[in-house]
Amino acid sequence: MTTDLKAKADAFTEIFDSAHAVLNTLADGRFADVRERGIHKFREYGVPTHRDEEFKYLNLRHLSESAFKIAYGATVSRGDLSHPIVSTDAITLAFVNGQYAPELSSADTLPDGVYVGPFDELPFEVDQAFEKQFGRVANLVGKLGTTNDERFTYLNQAFFADIAVVFVPENVIVERPIHILNVSTANLGAFVAAPRAFSYFSANSQAKLIESFIGLTGNYLNVPVTEVVLESGAIVEHVRVQDETLAATHIGTQAVHQDASSSYTAFNVNFGGQVYRNDLNVWLNGSGTETRLDGVNVGTADQVMDNHTRIDHAFPHCNSFEVYKSVLRDNAQGIFNGKIFVYEDAQKTDAKQTNQALLLSATAQMNSKPQLEIFADDVKCTHGATIGQLQKDALFYLQARGIPKAQAESLLVYAFANDVLARISNEAVRQALETRLFDKLEVA
Amino acid sequence: MLVIQNLQARVEEKEILRGISLTVNAGEVHAIMGPNGSGKSTLASILAGKQDYEVTGGSVEFAGEDLLELDPEERAAAGLFLAFQYPIEIPGVTNTYFLRAALNNVRKARGEAELTMTEFMKHIRSKVEMMELDPSLLSRSVNEGFSGGEKKRNEIFQMAVLEPKLCVLDETDSGLDIDALKIVANGVNHLRGEGRGIIVVTHYQRLLDYIVPDFVHVLMEGRIVKSGGKELAHELEAKGYSFIEEELAAAR
Repeated sequence: MTTDLKAKADAFTEIFDSAHAVLNTLADGRFADVRERGIHKFREYGVPTHRDEEFKYLNLRHLSESAFKIAYGATVSRGDLSHPIVSTDAITLAFVNGQYAPELSSADTLPDGVYVGPFDELPFEVDQAFEKQFGRVANLVGKLGTTNDERFTYLNQAFFADIAVVFVPENVIVERPIHILNVSTANLGAFVAAPRAFSYFSANSQAKLIESFIGLTGNYLNVPVTEVVLESGAIVEHVRVQDETLAATHIGTQAVHQDASSSYTAFNVNFGGQVYRNDLNVWLNGSGTETRLDGVNVGTADQVMDNHTRIDHAFPHCNSFEVYKSVLRDNAQGIFNGKIFVYEDAQKTDAKQTNQALLLSATAQMNSKPQLEIFADDVKCTHGATIGQLQKDALFYLQARGIPKAQAESLLVYAFANDVLARISNEAVRQALETRLFDKLEVA
Repeated sequence: MLVIQNLQARVEEKEILRGISLTVNAGEVHAIMGPNGSGKSTLASILAGKQDYEVTGGSVEFAGEDLLELDPEERAAAGLFLAFQYPIEIPGVTNTYFLRAALNNVRKARGEAELTMTEFMKHIRSKVEMMELDPSLLSRSVNEGFSGGEKKRNEIFQMAVLEPKLCVLDETDSGLDIDALKIVANGVNHLRGEGRGIIVVTHYQRLLDYIVPDFVHVLMEGRIVKSGGKELAHELEAKGYSFIEEELAAAR
């Protein structure tokens, strides 16, 4: 088994050896050591197997069998982007296969002190925040529980090219959404890309962040890492849209730090990918925070959709509310693991987790694992998981009013999933995702 | 319009309908009364096409078609409407969206043009007023969080919007206070006549003070055991169902 793992790790080491010279030309070689450490750490673990607890239900064997190359130099024209989320009005920062794509980005005049751009010559204040937090948010060292598995965060660390940087200074409200658009195209062969984003929201600032992963062609591996920091009182809505190609593998890490009295709302909306996995980790770093994590997954054919979420309640008086829904058809497989850690000092924690799956065929399946570990005694923590089929009574009611069965089924499925999307505050974003949801359900 | 002949049905091994025959002509209002468990609601559900029952004998002809061969949506398109005893909540589907989808499907089946949202809103306005529905209910999810009375009024509102040929009201009076009962009855009476048949299934005579039937049938143990005019309902109210049981016992 040891040699097996080593061999698997070496496949990525080979890619690294052939690519790090190119990658190190970026950002004046500032991240050369960071990359070395990343591949070194990844090599310790290698590609996970079902024996690894955090990857128990997720089969990633294909990763060690594929001949990935590092992505470099691909271009995409605006005309190739038909996804509805792309056309919503936003301050857009675009990347193709992990590389900055100015031709797809928008040139906007931003409010004073706001930075939305690639890692380059960062303004002083932004550079300070970056130096202080970059790479630290993604990492869970020193926290309760030893079960998180960060090997793909390290793989990202080895392979990332450019970095999307978003910075909002104190007390500034950015009205227009900020969109980090990640486009993938494998028309030059299978590749591995490591999009990297760093978003910093200073005290009492407010912003809406969209992060999208849009696949155009082919087979590739995307291992994005995004770090989000909310200083005290910051209010952020983060919509993460994953719509990779149906041949792609997407293994993401979304790490969030929330200081006292901040409010973070995440919508993770997943339509694409042959294999999709995301680890969303929220570290609550002060009292009085609000956290809302919502997710919608629509899987068809042989898609696998795996969401791991983790909330660390380390301080008292923090609320977290989580609803993840999956619609699975054909042979699609859904996985949910929701961890909530309530630390000894985190009295008056109010945490609620809900996971619901709708199975539309006999061969679709869902594995749901709530995981609450509570070390404080005066807290309210609840979780519920339901896996079911369409409600027969509701179907009959719609049919009895003249709505044909197929249409009635679509309507109920749409309603189930759209319940989550309906809470997205930006109307254009919400409509774009509703449009996509409708398409995916109709076509399937 | 509706001809039921010797209809028999069961759930699993339990026989519920043991040979029902009933003819409803256009313009007539029939009340079907009976004690709990007599099969009243089963009859209503079978007419609408609910799958839980197995029809073991007999026939139902509606507007010249074999009703039992049609899917529920085809029955609705042919002009049959069931007002549910327990209207279903459908989270995430607004009342307006639902009803327009229903109406347009029914119109399509009748060979009529579909209505745009504007035309639809115009079509329903007077009906919202007639049923004294709070307009905010229209943009809420179907029946979700509605009070019992609101749900029943919503059923009759849907009926008014869809303009069916045959209305089947399944215990629409249950759980209604007197004001809501009057509103519901008023809605039904508006649809009366015009070549339309109405079947009112009820346990109590109370609703029939407001929707006065042309015929009253008493259903017991899966059979219609007595039929008469509206005065039969009053007799039942005064004497209870036991007097019929006694009559039947005497006849045996």
